[in-house]
Amino acid sequence: MEHVFQSLAQFWEYTGFANCSWQNIVMIGIGIIFITLAIVKEWEPMLLVPIGFGMIVGNIPMFPGLNIGIYEDGSVLSILYQGVKQGWYPPLIFLGIGAMTDFSALISQPRLILIGAAAQMGIFGAYLLALAFGFAPNEAGAIGIIGGADGPTAIFLSSKLAPDLMGAIAVSAYSYMALVPVIQKPIMLLLTTKKERLIRMPAPRQVSQKEKIIFPIVGFLTTAFIVPSGLPLLGMLFFGNLLKESGVTRRLANTASGPLIDVVTTLIGLTVGASTQADKFLSAKSLLIFGLGLLSFVIATTCGVLFVKLMNLFIHNPAKKINPLIGNAGVSAVPDSARVSEVVGREIDPKNHLLMHAMGPNVAGVIGSAVAAGILLAFLG
Amino acid sequence: MRKRILLTLVLLVATFAGARAQNVIDLIIAEALAVPDSTGIVDDYGRRGGWIEIFNTSQGTVNFAGCYLTDDRNNLKKSLIPKGDLRTKLGPRQTTLIYASGEGKDGTFYAGFRLRPGSTVYLVSNDGRTVIDSLVLPKDLPAGLSVSKQAFDLRQREFEPLPDPTVPSPGIPNMDQDAASKAQAMAEKDPHGFILSLVAVTVVFSALAILWFLFWLFFDRPAKKKRSPVIPSITKESPSDEIAAAIALAMDMEQGGDVYAAIALAMDLYFSDTVHDTESFILTMRPKESAAWNDKKQNFRKLPR
Repeated sequence: MEHVFQSLAQFWEYTGFANCSWQNIVMIGIGIIFITLAIVKEWEPMLLVPIGFGMIVGNIPMFPGLNIGIYEDGSVLSILYQGVKQGWYPPLIFLGIGAMTDFSALISQPRLILIGAAAQMGIFGAYLLALAFGFAPNEAGAIGIIGGADGPTAIFLSSKLAPDLMGAIAVSAYSYMALVPVIQKPIMLLLTTKKERLIRMPAPRQVSQKEKIIFPIVGFLTTAFIVPSGLPLLGMLFFGNLLKESGVTRRLANTASGPLIDVVTTLIGLTVGASTQADKFLSAKSLLIFGLGLLSFVIATTCGVLFVKLMNLFIHNPAKKINPLIGNAGVSAVPDSARVSEVVGREIDPKNHLLMHAMGPNVAGVIGSAVAAGILLAFLG
Repeated sequence: MRKRILLTLVLLVATFAGARAQNVIDLIIAEALAVPDSTGIVDDYGRRGGWIEIFNTSQGTVNFAGCYLTDDRNNLKKSLIPKGDLRTKLGPRQTTLIYASGEGKDGTFYAGFRLRPGSTVYLVSNDGRTVIDSLVLPKDLPAGLSVSKQAFDLRQREFEPLPDPTVPSPGIPNMDQDAASKAQAMAEKDPHGFILSLVAVTVVFSALAILWFLFWLFFDRPAKKKRSPVIPSITKESPSDEIAAAIALAMDMEQGGDVYAAIALAMDLYFSDTVHDTESFILTMRPKESAAWNDKKQNFRKLPR
């Protein structure tokens, strides 16, 4: 009988109840909030459901040494986490993004590319702030990339520059991407006048198939020669787009933009969520990263909108003026930020459709954030 | 046809042979010691002697089995590094030691010659002809000191020979151990981050501005219009503009902007020929990829979303 009690007592030590701490409960609570937001509010469900559930998985209290935790060598989670740690999930996601992105909006109005560059100021604004808060330059660079509003890029860069902060950075980036409508709208309204919001942009011209095919090749050569360190992201992005636009590799493009990106998104979400183990995640640093991440989004949106206003100063033909409401779309949260431009634009003029115009800076933002990541990697890696 | 196939095969072989050679040429002789002092390291047989340190400068693993070491320019195949030993695979930015014991048969990592001050040691590729790297040992090299090549940063591929003999560091990559990492250097040079930010913003703008310029220069023009279907000519008598305006006004009042979007989409699909596979007015029925009996989709429960 005594042996039975001893066995039960021993078993108790292995249970989650015996090993639970308040930090685990907090993180599980955050995971449940993420899942709730995804299902009830439909905020980025593709990201928040895997991340939220991953948070729960990673914070189940357990007896260490059973080789099941994400930070224990040889465990299933640890093996899946290698894709995040070594940085090979993000390029695969970029392959899928390239295969599903239509760059027509950008090609038809090349001037909108510059808005995508202006919105990258969020990255460097956050970098400066992070340095001011005492982060090391490599950590500051990894935090700054949150301002690119690009989850895969944030994971890629933080895995290279500051692996210890990767969980907080990734969760922060994805959370704010989900909150793009909430963060960007008030800034857009604050920085624009009613007259500016009513600007109707000329319809984009039709883009030929030849241009669509040439774009990924020229785009890749241009950006990769300038920033070779962005090669994994830029190469995959433009390669995916070439698969789509070439017209002769439809099956490959379909796989890249369908099953492949779905599998990788699931794995990256789950493992990033699971990497937020309470003992490694719950810290003042993480809170600071969340604060800086929010500021980076604010700076990016502000710079994008203000840059359009600046461009308008140099455009004398009223018919060619740009609606500053598409400035927010310079961040690379595709297509959420472009959708925000459309929604805010239609609130004041229901017939003013800005979506296709906003997609230009939006996809330019994807390229811009990959270029910015490459620069930070070159300087700080 | 056969000639073409043969030529392709030759090119492929040449390419792969080149790739292999390129692998081995990433190796350098990083350090060598001719005469040890009483504190020198001992080999597996407990002997003190000279040694040669090989360093892999690349970011990939290099197998140096089959390469040669020699101290005689006229006899490049003097000491063979045997094949078949897994330890000859040298990881990226890693070093390995070859003991210059004079007895090559002692093991994989033993050279068949002894090093002497004044000699030059060569690392020869596995083709037995190409000298990959060499290191000169000065005649006045004191006992207990080595000659070495050093890089400021290990990621650099260029290693410079140090002018003076140094204290030996067998098995340790030769670099400035006090050299700061990029991040540390940046923290010293640019503590507030303004320079990096300025440079980075300039580069991002430049990259995208070049892209904009290229597309503005070559492509930012309306695409050639496709030949549109023949539309019956409108006579001067028919008040087409007024009718169009009236229809537009009525639709606008009735439906709002969504109708325009739907009409525009329908017309775009029609004119861009994306609806019809072969020609207009013929609808192609695509055959199903799988029959009903093996269609997994049909076995799954359909959810509303």
